[in-house]
Formats: sequence, C-alpha cells, structure tokens
Amino acid sequence: MRNDYFRVFGEYGLSKEIKEDDIEIKIGGKGKVKEYYRKCGEEEIKKFVAAERGKLFVVPVEPVNLPKLGVAEHLLIEFEEPYIIEPGISHTFYLKFPIEIGVFLVDKKDVERIDIFTKTRQKYTLYGSPENGIICRWWKSPLYYEKPKVKKLEEGIMKVDIENEYREWVEIRKLVFRAFDMKIFYDGYAYMRSYVTILKKTMAETSFESRKPKDMKNSIDIYEAKGIKRLEKKFVMEWGL
Amino acid sequence: MNLQAEISKALNYEISKGVTVMDIFIFIIIIAVSIIIAKIVRLNIRRALKEKVPKTTLATIEKAVYYTIIIFGFIIAIPYIGFSLGGLLVAGGFAGIVLGLATQTVLSNLISGLFLMAEKPIQIGDGVSIGDIGGVVKDIRVLSTTIRTWDGIYVRIPNEKVFTSNIYNYDAHAARRFEYKVGIAYKDDADKAVDLIKNLLEEHPLILKDPSPQIFVEELGDSSVNLTIKIWAPSKVWYDVKTEMLWKIKVALEKAGIEIPFPQLVIWKGES
Repeated sequence: MRNDYFRVFGEYGLSKEIKEDDIEIKIGGKGKVKEYYRKCGEEEIKKFVAAERGKLFVVPVEPVNLPKLGVAEHLLIEFEEPYIIEPGISHTFYLKFPIEIGVFLVDKKDVERIDIFTKTRQKYTLYGSPENGIICRWWKSPLYYEKPKVKKLEEGIMKVDIENEYREWVEIRKLVFRAFDMKIFYDGYAYMRSYVTILKKTMAETSFESRKPKDMKNSIDIYEAKGIKRLEKKFVMEWGL
Repeated sequence: MNLQAEISKALNYEISKGVTVMDIFIFIIIIAVSIIIAKIVRLNIRRALKEKVPKTTLATIEKAVYYTIIIFGFIIAIPYIGFSLGGLLVAGGFAGIVLGLATQTVLSNLISGLFLMAEKPIQIGDGVSIGDIGGVVKDIRVLSTTIRTWDGIYVRIPNEKVFTSNIYNYDAHAARRFEYKVGIAYKDDADKAVDLIKNLLEEHPLILKDPSPQIFVEELGDSSVNLTIKIWAPSKVWYDVKTEMLWKIKVALEKAGIEIPFPQLVIWKGES
C-alpha cells in the first residue's frame, strides 16, 4: 500500500490545498491570478502567480539552501558513533539526511522555484582548515544497517555503499557530499543512494546514483533548474574522514 | 611541360634583391598557417578553461597565446621577404627602449596586472581592503582594478598600486573569526553566563559548529568580569552574524538576570 506522503510531496494543478503537521500550502484563485500561501511553524509567506497551464511541484530538495542561499554547497553528515571498515571490503549502511522542501512552478519550458522551507534544525560547519576548507551544512545521524524510519517531512534516507580500497583499516566519523552531485528521489520518503570509496586513511570519494529506483519519482534538481551543468560528479574528501 | 616551365619561371621571378614570388607565397602561407593555428589553439583554450578560470583571466590567456603564436610565425616567415632577423631585433630593441621610456607607467601597470592575474590575491566579488580603500572588487583589468567601496563609490586603482599595497581579502578563506567583549557584574555567576551564551550561539545556524565558538573570562576588570566571545562564521555572511548576535547576547543575559554593569568607582571617605 502506498503511504500518505503524497499529501505533501507531489505534482499538483494550480488549485490545491495541502495540510500536514504544521505545514500548510495553498494555491488557488480565479482566472489567471492565483495566490500562493505557505505556512510552516510560525513562518508564513504569500505570493501572487499569473498562470494558466503550469503545475505546482512540492518536492524534497538538496539541504543547502537555508537560511541563506550560497553559503554552502556541501552536506557533512557526522556519525553518532565512529565506523571502522576492514581493508578491501565493501558494505552497505543507511544514514538519515535533512531535507528542505522546495515548491516549484513548472511548465513545458521552464522550472521556477517559488519557495523553500524546512522543519529541520539548520547548522553549518567547516570541513578542512579555514584557509582551504569548505562550509558545509552539518547534520548528525546514527548508522543503520536496515532502512530506518524517518520523520517524513524532516528527514530522508541515504543508502551508502562503501568500499575500502585502502590497504589498512579505516575509521570514519563523517562523510561529505556535494549538493551538485545529489540526486533525490521520493515516494513515501526522500531517498538518495550514495557511493563512498576510501582512497587513503584520511581521504575518500563520494558520489551519487542518478538512476531512479523503481516506484520512486525524481525530485527537481535545483542546480539543473538554475541551468547549472554538472561537470565533476564526484567529491573528494581530502581533509579527513 | 611549357605550362610547368612558365609557372616555375613565374615563381622564381625576383621581385627585389633575393626575394622571389615563391618567397612571398611562403611568407603568406606561414603567416596564414600561424593565424589558423593560433585560432584553433585559442578555441581549445576557451573550451578547456571556460568553467575553470574567471572570464577576465581567460581573455588574457587567450590573447597572450594567440599573439605569441602569430609573432612566432612572423619571426619564422620574415627572412623569406628579405628582412634580416638580427637587424629587425636591433631596430626593435631601439624602438623598445624609446617606447619603454615613454610608456613606463603604462607598462608598470600592465605587468602588475598580469602578475595580479597570475597570483590571484583578489577575485571579482571579493570584499577587500587595498591600502586605505575598502570595498568589493568589481573588475580586474590589465591596467587597473575597480572597486565599489563599502559606501557605494566607484574607485579605479592602477594595478601598480594594487600590486605594491597591503591587500586584505575578507573572502579569500571559507570562514573567518570575529569577537565580542562583554562585561558582567562581579555578583553574577560567570559559568552561568558562559553556558547561556554557548547555548545561544549553538542555536544560530550560521555560527559554525566547527571551529566551535570560544567563551571565557578574559579579565577581572575595574567594574566588571570581562568575557571574551570568539565566533567563527562563513566569510560570506560573517558581518550579518556579527551585527545580529551582540544584541541577542545582551538581551539573553538580562533575561537571565545577569547584569551588564556601567563603569563604576567606589570612593571611601576618611574618618575625619
């Protein structure tokens, strides 16, 4: 049985009202002029839209847009407990990641982001040194060996296929992913599948699967929507694991 | 056979002393080939570096490579039209000295501009202070750098001055630190104040988790116990965070009943 997540995530016409938890999204109006209204907790916004044929998409997006766009382009997930992996083996585990909810107006030729909001706590951190490092959205997650249950409007599930190509045991406390590379899917929950290859004791490469899993839908890629092309599809963690 | 002989005769026809029609053809072909090669190389450089190098730097690299190839072709071709390379160099040397003296400042700015583009101490969009001018870099050209000062004024600085000045680039690193000093009354609990500020900073999304903020008693002052608060924030937003947090700290301390005292002096009067 399909679950009730489509009450928020999904593709809608320009007359719709969605309510779940403390989230309220409304679009509607007479003729070409529609009013978009969104409430999430205490935060409210209202916008006017002139449209005839467009659609409204409400989807999970890369968690690096709030509170200010352009601050970070990476997500750092710190493990609640360190993870140690034997040389030469591969393994799979799951992490939770924070989601931001994006609202888009879509027609055949263009995608326009009209709103992004989140119910998750936002915190940023530095990966690497102040001279060479990068600012990342920070998140802490336990490791799960089976798909965990998530708070559907706050967290997603990331499947991590990890391989230790290095000749020694390696301890990992965090993973860093680039938002450019992320490929988010949704159905009952937001989902990503990532690959981690350990290259050295303090270096690894992270990337994402772009093939859509069966029975899931593609989210809208914010970077593609902005016309930014992906050049490199892998991120090298060179300042420690 | 006759035609072949005629063509050969025409090609070997001497236009001036030692220069035949054939030589002129070779000269033109070398120049044409060098222009074609220069264009192909320029196109490939543009494709290869388009996403990796800023526009202004890319334009400079393209021009430098393009003209170097053409000049190289010209040097190879010029003996075919009867010019001696040695004579040309001597003449060029003299002309260079004259031009160099006449355009010393321009050349100095040009060379400084090229060094700035190679060294990259500043980039377009960075917040900087160059000498006594502070603002956002709007453009870095070959001869000058333009800055929009913090109060919105357009300033053009010759590259020689940029190159020889102390440059402070506020955006060169991903994160930067700023600090506050807050005094609390002697009667109040400094540990409580430290915990309170720590929690407040932890709640702010743009105050970095790592490097974590430092809060400690720095000094037992004349009127207050002085706390120092050191905060790291992303360079792009540090000023927003700085302007926001001090008042929040003041409000939070007062709400918790911790006093921020005015400077005070206790005067003891003698018995007589």
